[in-house]
Amino acid sequence: MARYGMALDYKNCINCKACEVACKEENGVELGAEKHRIWVGGNNPEGAWPLLDMASASFLPSQCQQCDDAPCQEVCPTHATYYDENGVVRVDADKCILCSYCMNACPYDARYVDERTMTVDKCTFCSDTRLARGETTTACQNTCPTKVRTFGDLDDPESEISELLRTRDHFSLKAHLGTKPKLFYLT
Amino acid sequence: MSVEVSRRKFLQGSVALSVAGASAISATNLFSSENASEHKSTNSRIPSTITTKTSTAKAEHVPFLCGICVNKCAGLARVEDGIITKLDPNPYFPKNRNMLCPRGNAGIQTLYDPDRLKYPMVRIGERGDGKYKRVSWDEAYEAILNGTDKFKGIKQILDEEKDNRATIGYCNGEGLSKEGFEVLVGEKIGSPNYVDEVSICLETTLGGYVNTIGTYGEADLTNADYLIIAGANRAEAIITPDTMDMFKRSKGRGLKTIVLDPRFTNTAVKADRWYAINPGTDLAFVLALTYVTIKEELYDKAFVAKHVEGFDEYKQHILSHNYTPEWAAKLTNISAKEITKTAREFMAARSPIYYQGRRSVFSKNDFQLRRAMAIFQGLSGNLDKKGGIVYGQKLQLPKEDVNAPIYGQAQARFDKDGIAIPSLKTGSWIVFRNMVLEGKNPYPLRAMFMRKHNPMAGVPNTKKTEAFLKKMDLNVMIDILPSDTTMYADVILPEASYLERTSPVASYGGMEPAIVQRKAAIKPLYETKTPEVIYKELAEKLSKPLWENTLKYDEDVQDDTEGMSKAEIEQYYKENGFDLAEPWEKPVHEQNEERITKAYGKKAWEILDEKGVYYPHMEEYHTQLNPNEFEYYPENKKHYSTQGDKLKVKCNLSNLTKKGVDAMPAWHDDMEFSVPAGQFRLVTGRHAQFTQSGTTNNAMLRDLIPTNYIWINNQVCEKMGIKFADKVEVKSPIGKVTIMAYPTNKIAPNQIFMLHGFGGSSEKMELAYGNGANDALLIEDKIEPVYGAAVMHDTNVEIRKV
Repeated sequence: MARYGMALDYKNCINCKACEVACKEENGVELGAEKHRIWVGGNNPEGAWPLLDMASASFLPSQCQQCDDAPCQEVCPTHATYYDENGVVRVDADKCILCSYCMNACPYDARYVDERTMTVDKCTFCSDTRLARGETTTACQNTCPTKVRTFGDLDDPESEISELLRTRDHFSLKAHLGTKPKLFYLT
Repeated sequence: MSVEVSRRKFLQGSVALSVAGASAISATNLFSSENASEHKSTNSRIPSTITTKTSTAKAEHVPFLCGICVNKCAGLARVEDGIITKLDPNPYFPKNRNMLCPRGNAGIQTLYDPDRLKYPMVRIGERGDGKYKRVSWDEAYEAILNGTDKFKGIKQILDEEKDNRATIGYCNGEGLSKEGFEVLVGEKIGSPNYVDEVSICLETTLGGYVNTIGTYGEADLTNADYLIIAGANRAEAIITPDTMDMFKRSKGRGLKTIVLDPRFTNTAVKADRWYAINPGTDLAFVLALTYVTIKEELYDKAFVAKHVEGFDEYKQHILSHNYTPEWAAKLTNISAKEITKTAREFMAARSPIYYQGRRSVFSKNDFQLRRAMAIFQGLSGNLDKKGGIVYGQKLQLPKEDVNAPIYGQAQARFDKDGIAIPSLKTGSWIVFRNMVLEGKNPYPLRAMFMRKHNPMAGVPNTKKTEAFLKKMDLNVMIDILPSDTTMYADVILPEASYLERTSPVASYGGMEPAIVQRKAAIKPLYETKTPEVIYKELAEKLSKPLWENTLKYDEDVQDDTEGMSKAEIEQYYKENGFDLAEPWEKPVHEQNEERITKAYGKKAWEILDEKGVYYPHMEEYHTQLNPNEFEYYPENKKHYSTQGDKLKVKCNLSNLTKKGVDAMPAWHDDMEFSVPAGQFRLVTGRHAQFTQSGTTNNAMLRDLIPTNYIWINNQVCEKMGIKFADKVEVKSPIGKVTIMAYPTNKIAPNQIFMLHGFGGSSEKMELAYGNGANDALLIEDKIEPVYGAAVMHDTNVEIRKV
């Protein structure tokens, strides 16, 4: 039993997409530009060359925010979306009927259809691959060149993520929606 | 599906570019999401799906060294039932600091690429038409030796050329088995005509730095506090460990970062300041920084007095030429105020670094630019110390002596036209190729032995490369994919990829030196063989027949062997190195064991063989700092300062004057950047998801960056009526291509940019073929004057919407 979350030192992100590839290879995610569990969003700079607004250009790694109060779980009519014992929002492929309510409900656009299993799939924090083997990092964290991500147990005061959240300022995406994400962006 | 459209709203910026790109080309791309998840192979050693979910079952973790680019990051291959399901970083190697980039992660897709070369092939059609016959390995070697009805063999060619081994040319791109190919074709077979990636890559960078401060060095970006990074794009052209160290501390977190680039790159996104410098004018910028530093006496006086040679002449040179910020402002597009500010900040910083960069040659003055940068770094005194450019140390490996035969009939290399300092080992691709095409070679060049190299995409002016290859009597290619160049080979020998072979051990120097070994994670797929096995078998096949040629024509050998018995001649043949296969008597793994055990002992070998990495005290020193990071050497064991009094910065290289090269970096009027009205300067570059043409057929990476676009200034596009993904014809003095447009504010109105490595011409590479545009069709084959290296950013083009 744990309460898994992730802290993202997002200013380190260079938009190289190593995390996306590692995720796809680890979890056997389909190819296709829309078929990713994680991605890096970015803004192009505003202005006209050469007077570009540097502050307006940035990269923001994103994915399922593993909400404590997940709209996708709430709307799922078949209970296919559920919380596992570690607080990770998971999908039961057998129960999913592809109604896509969850896709519409998710404010982070974190879900996509896996055409092979016909399931609305999402990030699992590598629960059924790496964590199931006893590993302590997700694929995206482990491979990241600039070490953006720290995954861990929020309930363990000794964990690296707990330490980071104690000592660094952080924010959540769309905090005003009350979804209580377990992804924390470090400032 | 409507839901996917909504998902796209989140995918902004460059991600949106790739998404839109994917939909724009889906009509013509055979690759589509319907079958994207399948490999259509009946081979049980090939996974049935493109990506394979890792299982919870037991797996092997084999240490490998990545071969997707030149960095050689260390990783662990997860092998389940003989199939590689995942590549993870190896936490022991200080160079890659427990990470793999997107390309490293996607290496599985190159291994299992359905288009791989699977068995030896011999050409039965015309060169370039892709008609080949599958043959056995022995038949392939036989075709190299004795030819077929379509082409001549090397035995006949050397007979006609009276054993002049120089009639053979050879080329090989960077890699751990490259040295073996140099031994085979260069030292054993005896060809002096060698070209590789250096003359289309960083030759002037290395040359400029080594001649000025004695090393290219390593930038200690973990401890620096001020960074000028000009014409280098570490966010997109990933170099380990620089990329990781740099961006963990940029953006107000300890490393002030000044980026100079004509384009607003992903590195510029991370900068404190970005200067949109005119292409090819970095030298003026550095000279002006130097002017401010000298004029205002900002330099480290004690360091300069002790270590900088020729400083007084250089000072005089800089001041008398009036390389003022005002002078440079006009040339560079950077204001005098900003130049002055940057010089002052740099010299006031505790540990400033003018990043050396690591890229191909952009302008003709690149050698002098590198010299000026190295001297400027020297003026700060931040050399050979923590936080500066560090010399470091290397763990020595025992040298393997090669018994190289001497061929009396072999002539010397010839590719020296217009070059001040011809390299001793590898030549200039452009000069070599063009001299052959123009008939300026003093003896015929009739065969090319090629390995892991794609000059059709890499060397400017593809048409000339094609004509050059067509001119040969015999082309041999050893590679893993049917590249554009492979299609001009007469005999194709399929090589095992980096995940299927154990490679010779390598040593990486620096602040934290280490020895690494790449171990085969799986056995070679299909009928492929490891490079060293190919060298051995080819050498065995050629050895005796070519020796007969030597006996027939080589008067020195004839004199030596006169009156000898058959057995004595055999002994002479062996003792004098004419037995070509002798360096490969032992398999690579055994050779590695011998070399490491000899130098560092049995325990060291066991550690290296198990973990893939070794350095003295590794098990004691290597500690985990947090879930992401490790310490490789304790702080007091890192090799920050190694030079002592040997450290020299050479301002004035007066012996260069004899060769027509400036002894001190100087600006000349013809270096000025100008583009005729209505034209654009073509600049090219890299992307984090690609390694030149080598990865354009990788399904995973293609998924991220489906094609290349031409970047055109958005205001120019408005005037010309060009919208995103519109087809645009780009025409240079040597050729034209059609490519889709990307209107953007990130580039100047008189410049265009395209990613290098796209637009493949080989129909045998399904994803790469015809996708995007090949910049080598546009870039004029100009050289810089010191080494004859290719100049990549000196071509103006016209564009029109089609």
